Amino acid sequence: MRRTYTEGMLYMGPAVLLSLAILALPLGYVLYTSLFDPHFTLQAYTDLLSSKLFERSLLTTIEVSVTAAVVSLLLGYPVALHLARQPPRKRALYMILVLLPFWTSVLVKSYAFTVILGRDGLINSMLSMIVGQKIVLPMIFNRFGVIVGMTNYLVPFVVMPLLAGLLAIDPALRRAAEIMGAKPARIFFSITLPLSVPGIVAAFSTTTVMSLGFFVIPALLGGPHDMMMANLVDFFTRQTLDWHAASAIGMILLVIVVVISFAATRVRRIAA
Amino acid sequence: MPMQDSPSRLISRRRVVASAAAATLAMPLVFRPRRARANNNLVFVTWGGTYKSSVVAGLIKPFQAATGITVTVVDTPDLAKVKAQMMTGNVAWDVFDAPGAMGASGSRDGFWEPLDPAMFKSDDLSVPPPTKDLAPFYTWAGGVAYDPKRFPDGKHPRNFAEDFDAKTFPGRRTFRNRISETLEAALLASGVPGPKLYPLDVERGFKMLDAIKPHVVKWIESTPETITMLQQDEADFSYSYASRVKTTRAAGGVPVDFSFGQTLNGLEYLAVLKGAPNKEAAMKFVAFALQAQQQAAVMNLLGNAPANKRALPMMSAEARRWLPDLSLPQNVVLNDMWWADNFDKLNRRFLEWIIS
Repeated sequence: MRRTYTEGMLYMGPAVLLSLAILALPLGYVLYTSLFDPHFTLQAYTDLLSSKLFERSLLTTIEVSVTAAVVSLLLGYPVALHLARQPPRKRALYMILVLLPFWTSVLVKSYAFTVILGRDGLINSMLSMIVGQKIVLPMIFNRFGVIVGMTNYLVPFVVMPLLAGLLAIDPALRRAAEIMGAKPARIFFSITLPLSVPGIVAAFSTTTVMSLGFFVIPALLGGPHDMMMANLVDFFTRQTLDWHAASAIGMILLVIVVVISFAATRVRRIAA
Repeated sequence: MPMQDSPSRLISRRRVVASAAAATLAMPLVFRPRRARANNNLVFVTWGGTYKSSVVAGLIKPFQAATGITVTVVDTPDLAKVKAQMMTGNVAWDVFDAPGAMGASGSRDGFWEPLDPAMFKSDDLSVPPPTKDLAPFYTWAGGVAYDPKRFPDGKHPRNFAEDFDAKTFPGRRTFRNRISETLEAALLASGVPGPKLYPLDVERGFKMLDAIKPHVVKWIESTPETITMLQQDEADFSYSYASRVKTTRAAGGVPVDFSFGQTLNGLEYLAVLKGAPNKEAAMKFVAFALQAQQQAAVMNLLGNAPANKRALPMMSAEARRWLPDLSLPQNVVLNDMWWADNFDKLNRRFLEWIIS
């Protein structure tokens, strides 16, 4: 017991110290800024909670984040499943393909999407050519555009934890099921899917939490109704220099993130 | 070899001791680089991309040649960073390239050093400085931009009244996602005469905005989008800027055009940060930037209007074609001081209005 504790400290200590220095201290300062002006006051929070602007963008943020996470999960799961069945060398090659979009700047990708999804974009002109008359599907400057852009960014974050989870499943289980005559669908629903729940929960919670802070993609691909919390933080930080309000939003987002993470850990424990 | 001290070694050891002592004495100098380099160095924070290369070529290089002061150019003026520098007492920037609203809020919050009025002859300035701590650098012009192929002359709005008239000029509009500029455009459209615009009639402006809202496809966050929306046929009439349209045409690609029938003109200021480490050099830099010759050189490249009127005749004919005539009553100069007092509250209302 004693020994594992010392060992744990040895392994984790440096990382903990680093996090304390570069994360906890500034975070403490943000908390302080949200509460003192210059005396203790909850003004920043009460102002926010009574503001329609805050309420609407909080709601939008949660809607967009959850939708983006679910869509990423639906798209990423088959990819992870396929990768898990490949021999290691092929898997490494495919993994590079999954990570490719990762290495392009979000800003560049968002502008690229305007070329693909726009009125005269690739998809609309191709459809018009096939059908023989002008087709204009509204795919940009609305929620659809935001979700496409965010999903493109998030899929790698879904594939990685899912793949780890799928690879951890004992292959003997699958073989045993096959021997006993189970069809692939049955194997998937009674073995693979239940055993990959921890990976699903991890992927879902990570991508939801990441989405909460999105800024560039909603601004470029979204419509008037897709304002997210991060845009509001920017407004208070840089335009009005109201750092009390900006800090308060930051703390509220942090609380939401902590709640999601706790819930995810609980679900994973129950599933395991 | 016997390890005996040769004379040369002795000397070198003595030298080492001596230089160590000198170094110790010099420590305060090392730790106070600001004082040591006080008059031959300064940090200028300005915008990136072609803007920066224009300013470097037209202003910074001549300044360095004339004064011997080295200018370090840093990207992106950000008032939040100025505030942080003031709060921590660790001022790293000297001269700040401030768009109107930033300049005015900085002035309100006491971020800038007062400037010596002898620095510029106010008769020469096209717009008088609103405060003692802001030096007008140039004015930029905002107005209606369009694609001349889709909307030849007579088919596109030429002023804000026509831009807000969706019946006569049907089409998709864009405006900025901030209340400044947008509210002025709405009020001018509703018929308020330019010289009587301020103080802005907020309710009247919002009523006008209500009417145009269904025709607005996007409230634009980033300036380049005011052009790309037109090029990609996502919008028909976009609130954009003359200098942006000019540089877009120069670069090739889908050409867009800009109507000079009516313009909203914003000021760009130069300001010196309070407690700037190289204050003296910074003041020299601001004074130099306001001289007619430098103004002409920079504005030829930037495509904006010089704050110094004497620079105008020195500019190229091509560049002058892209400048609005500020003496016409329909061309309005934004009142930054009015916005410094009203922006926070009104922009919150505007953002709420957008999503409601």
